[in-house]
Amino acid sequence: MKYLIFLIFALVIGAKAQGNTLVLLDNQVIKETHSLFFKSLQDRGYSLVFKIADDASLNLSKYGEYLYENLIIFAPSVVEFGGNLNVDTVTQFIDNGGNVLVAGSEVTGDVLRELASEVGFEVDEEGAFVIDHLNYDISDEGQHTKLVISSENLIDAPVIIGSKKGIAPLLYQGTGILVDSENPLVLPLITADSTAYSYQPDHPIKEYPHAIGRDTVLIAGLQARNNARVVFSGSISFFSDEYFTSSVQRALGGLKAEKSGNQDVATAISQWVFKEHGRLRVKSVQHHKAGEKTPPQDYTIMDDVVYKIGIEIYDNGKWTAFSANDVQLEFVRIDPFVRTTLKNNGNGIYEAKFKIPDVYGVYQFKVDYDRVGYTRLYSTTQVSVRPLQHTQYERFIDCAYPYYAGAFSMMLGVFVFSIVFLHMKDDDKKSKHE
Amino acid sequence: MSQAGTKKGAVSKLNRNAAINSLIICVVLLLAWVAGFASRLFAVIRFESIIHEFDPWFNYRATAYMVKHGFYNFLNWFDERAWYPLGRIVGGTVYPGLMITSGSIHYILHLLNINVHIRDICVFLAPIFSGLTAISTYLLTRELWSSGAGLFAACFIAIVPGYISRSVAGSYDNEGIAIFALQFTYFLWIKSVKTGSVFWAVAASLSYFYMVSAWGGYVFIINLIPLHVFVLLLMGRYSNRLFTSYTTFYILGLVMSMQIPFVGFQPIRTSEHMAAAGVFALLFAVAVLKYLQSMMSKSEFKFLVIWGGSLAAGLVFATVVALTYAGYIAPWSGRFYSLWDTGYAKIHIPIIASVSEHQPTTWFSFFFDLHVLIATFPAGLWYCIKHVNDERVFVILYALSAVYFAGVMVRLMLTLTPVVCMLSGIAFSILLELYLREEDSGPSEIEGDESTQGGKRLYDKAGKAPKIKHEQVKEQDPIGPNIRSIAAVVLVLLLMLFVVHCTWVTSNAYSSPSIVLASYGSDGTRQILDDFREAYFWLSQNTADDARVMSWWDYGYQIAGMANRTTLVDNNTWNNSHIALVGKAMSSNESAAYEIMTALDVDYVLVIFGGVIGYSGDDINKFLWMVRIAEGEHPKDIRESDYFTEQGEFRIDAEGSQILLNCLMYKLSYYKFGELRLDYRSPAGFDRTRNAVIGNKDINLTYLEEAYTSEHWLVRIYRVKKPDEFNRPRIPVANRVIKSSSFISKKNSKRKKGLIKNKPVVIKGKRSQ
Repeated sequence: MKYLIFLIFALVIGAKAQGNTLVLLDNQVIKETHSLFFKSLQDRGYSLVFKIADDASLNLSKYGEYLYENLIIFAPSVVEFGGNLNVDTVTQFIDNGGNVLVAGSEVTGDVLRELASEVGFEVDEEGAFVIDHLNYDISDEGQHTKLVISSENLIDAPVIIGSKKGIAPLLYQGTGILVDSENPLVLPLITADSTAYSYQPDHPIKEYPHAIGRDTVLIAGLQARNNARVVFSGSISFFSDEYFTSSVQRALGGLKAEKSGNQDVATAISQWVFKEHGRLRVKSVQHHKAGEKTPPQDYTIMDDVVYKIGIEIYDNGKWTAFSANDVQLEFVRIDPFVRTTLKNNGNGIYEAKFKIPDVYGVYQFKVDYDRVGYTRLYSTTQVSVRPLQHTQYERFIDCAYPYYAGAFSMMLGVFVFSIVFLHMKDDDKKSKHE
Repeated sequence: MSQAGTKKGAVSKLNRNAAINSLIICVVLLLAWVAGFASRLFAVIRFESIIHEFDPWFNYRATAYMVKHGFYNFLNWFDERAWYPLGRIVGGTVYPGLMITSGSIHYILHLLNINVHIRDICVFLAPIFSGLTAISTYLLTRELWSSGAGLFAACFIAIVPGYISRSVAGSYDNEGIAIFALQFTYFLWIKSVKTGSVFWAVAASLSYFYMVSAWGGYVFIINLIPLHVFVLLLMGRYSNRLFTSYTTFYILGLVMSMQIPFVGFQPIRTSEHMAAAGVFALLFAVAVLKYLQSMMSKSEFKFLVIWGGSLAAGLVFATVVALTYAGYIAPWSGRFYSLWDTGYAKIHIPIIASVSEHQPTTWFSFFFDLHVLIATFPAGLWYCIKHVNDERVFVILYALSAVYFAGVMVRLMLTLTPVVCMLSGIAFSILLELYLREEDSGPSEIEGDESTQGGKRLYDKAGKAPKIKHEQVKEQDPIGPNIRSIAAVVLVLLLMLFVVHCTWVTSNAYSSPSIVLASYGSDGTRQILDDFREAYFWLSQNTADDARVMSWWDYGYQIAGMANRTTLVDNNTWNNSHIALVGKAMSSNESAAYEIMTALDVDYVLVIFGGVIGYSGDDINKFLWMVRIAEGEHPKDIRESDYFTEQGEFRIDAEGSQILLNCLMYKLSYYKFGELRLDYRSPAGFDRTRNAVIGNKDINLTYLEEAYTSEHWLVRIYRVKKPDEFNRPRIPVANRVIKSSSFISKKNSKRKKGLIKNKPVVIKGKRSQ
């Protein structure tokens, strides 16, 4: 009995460790059709709270505290959320660091479109599918909307989707997403093939489609500046049990696999979006003059300075040392005066030694490590660099010795001259008197 | 103060007359000191004992730093809170005389266990030094003319508005002590020229050293004294006295002036100082010629002078030109060019032209600052020319150059004022001597220099009619007693009017601390507008200690002094391009400005806005200077003409140019002002300073947010959002490719259920087929 209580307790703690997650559904059926995906989350320790998206009691926060860390919206056809949830509260949730995974479909409702625009995506018009007349699955029903996506179309970022090599072709059916090309934060996680386009399949094509070829994004991710992550998928069936388990075969031959890669990719994406992967943080920053231990009040120009930064990565629930060889340090006063690669000393400590330039001012040690998939690592430390004090200049300069000699010989000369002059005068007077 | 008197008292042949003379001199000088001190206290009595305006705030901050950390730390002070991120080496870019003066007063008082706060010393330093100025003016005028004229001059300088404008209590600025140093140096110089003694020349160079440590205006001395020597040489008044005094003064003064870190090598490297060196060389040449003259025949000498002289002059000139081109001598600085060509600054260096005190003087301000003295000083000048001697040549040159410079720049009215007081003192002294002489003015002149106290005391203090020996007219005076008394009364009345005017001007024009404003209601009640200190206090209490505040440079010293926050630019306008960068930020649109502001790590932006209370010195009125200064450095991005209407007007109303209506400064000044209705007669958004309804009432800020606005909207502070606050780049509705239908929420406070399309509806009671 005691053990049982302890076990339950441990389970609860374990579940809490990955944070609460609110799952919004169109209807209870989705919970069953996507059970594999939800189960993988629960296995990893997430406690899922399932709600219907129009539930009148929906609430993300209570008394100013967020009840959930993550939000999954698997309710493509929701037009308006129930309760206190709306676009503003969801974007606020993101701005306060919450992670959101959204799956749309060809019937994506207005509230999701609005939400997508708030994070820099756009969902194609209602009824539009991504169509590809070359890369459709053998089980497609004639509209060429059930696509086979090669793993080549995945984003080139091992942090997000793991190694590309071993991933089987993916199945996808749903609408296309447009991303703002000027937006540096948006990541196209999966794009369509160059032969794809996004349009309503049963309408004749009268207008130019909104998304063509590789610009048609199937699953888009965003890492906001506060490191909150958002993933928007154009297809909810991508995460379904059916797609997870079914075999995949390109109708025109070529790609073929017993089991689609959907499960691997969906799991990897969910790990990334809920920040199980790619979280970096600064553990410590130290700087001091070479040969000293503590930072000085302010540096003097031309000092030799040592800068150390410790970086950690979140891995399997623990913060461990991060290892990379491309972390750079800048020593900035409006413009960088020094830019150098930090030397990896092992154990997550990076070090740089350099000489402060001969320009005084207020500088910043700046480490800005921004790599696809990782959270942005940004650390600035402000220090003052002062000019030499009046006692720090050279007292005697070599090239000035002629002048020193001149000054002293002049002084001596005047001294001697005045003695001679005075004596001569005295003698004159004396001689006159005599 | 009483050296002047005691010196007189030490005359060995002590007789009654001399004793009374020295008593009167003492009393008059003491009264002049007291009157000068008292009339400078309007600001302290009306407001409080605070530091005024802009530059004094820096001087005060530097003094407080020196008192706290000691002189050497002050000398090495690197101020990282100014000119972020460049920083400023304060010790090397400041004239430390002012700080050292008040610091040593503070030190001495504390040695005597008199605990006075350094702020009070700073506030009252200028009024106290005005008394010393009066005494040194007396001494100088006595050397030039007579003791009586000196007393007049001392009384004039004690209360004349032209000097009070820079030395009221709280106006803790270099000029406050520099005018004393200026007058005292001139006195010692005149003394040394008169006596030819090395002692006085050394004293003059020491006093010059103090002047160099106190004010950049020392250049005036180091050009005027050589000019004096040069003109004396031209007039054939070379003497060994002149040779001794100038050579001693120049060499010692040169060596000592180079000890001030801010001056450094300038005395041998810049054109402003070359005249002194040239005259030094010329003096030697003349001395050699004089010596040769005694040994050669006349024709030989003539040949030598013509050929040798022109050869030497040509050689010296060519050397200077060559050194200038080679870069060893810096050419004239911009400020000096603007002294010769008044339009120069406006075209080439807008930052100098933007300062109101660098504008040319209007005729009106001559009268305003000097009143009757401006009318009487030509008379004194004429007398000096008429009875010219070595030292009067000096005062003539002083007067002529000072008049010119005062005409070019309002600020240099300050150097004109002492000479006007001196010459007017001479004029009044002569006039009163003429009209107030008693019939039997026989026996009074005992010593040549000593004047009698023949006149009675006039009005409050300036009161003695002296007699001058060489002015004595032996024959019977043709002026009758009636005319004498009428003229005397008229003169006395004039002097009384002068006093009234001085007091009025001091009280009304020069006694506002300008960080506390006062307005008067129709019933005479006084309202204090304390917005500046309110806002600076807010900054000091509510922002991070290292927060960086961007404002136009006028307010830099105040922010540093009162709010103790980091500023980007301040009143020490040493880096034009940094100021231009701030000007560019202020005159660009919000997103362009944001780029500059993030590059400079700006946390807060502070603007001064006078539209609510009708305060004319606000940032919108200064805005064109920001544009001009920015244009000077960034001509591709900022063009002044863009900010005018097609008719070439600067308008802030709906007809103003769109670039102006959307620039950062406009937005920050008028943010939410369009909703404010000041009274029932005027529409919303009516700017009282510019008497117009603003053109852009609907101002939205993207990159900034309002942090604080003071009670009368005078100071507005905005917080600059950090880049991570633009968390998600949203796609604005206008840029969306796929237009979504406008959706109207059906939720309300009771019905909180959402909506899902195509939701299977369960109808109760219906049996499924």
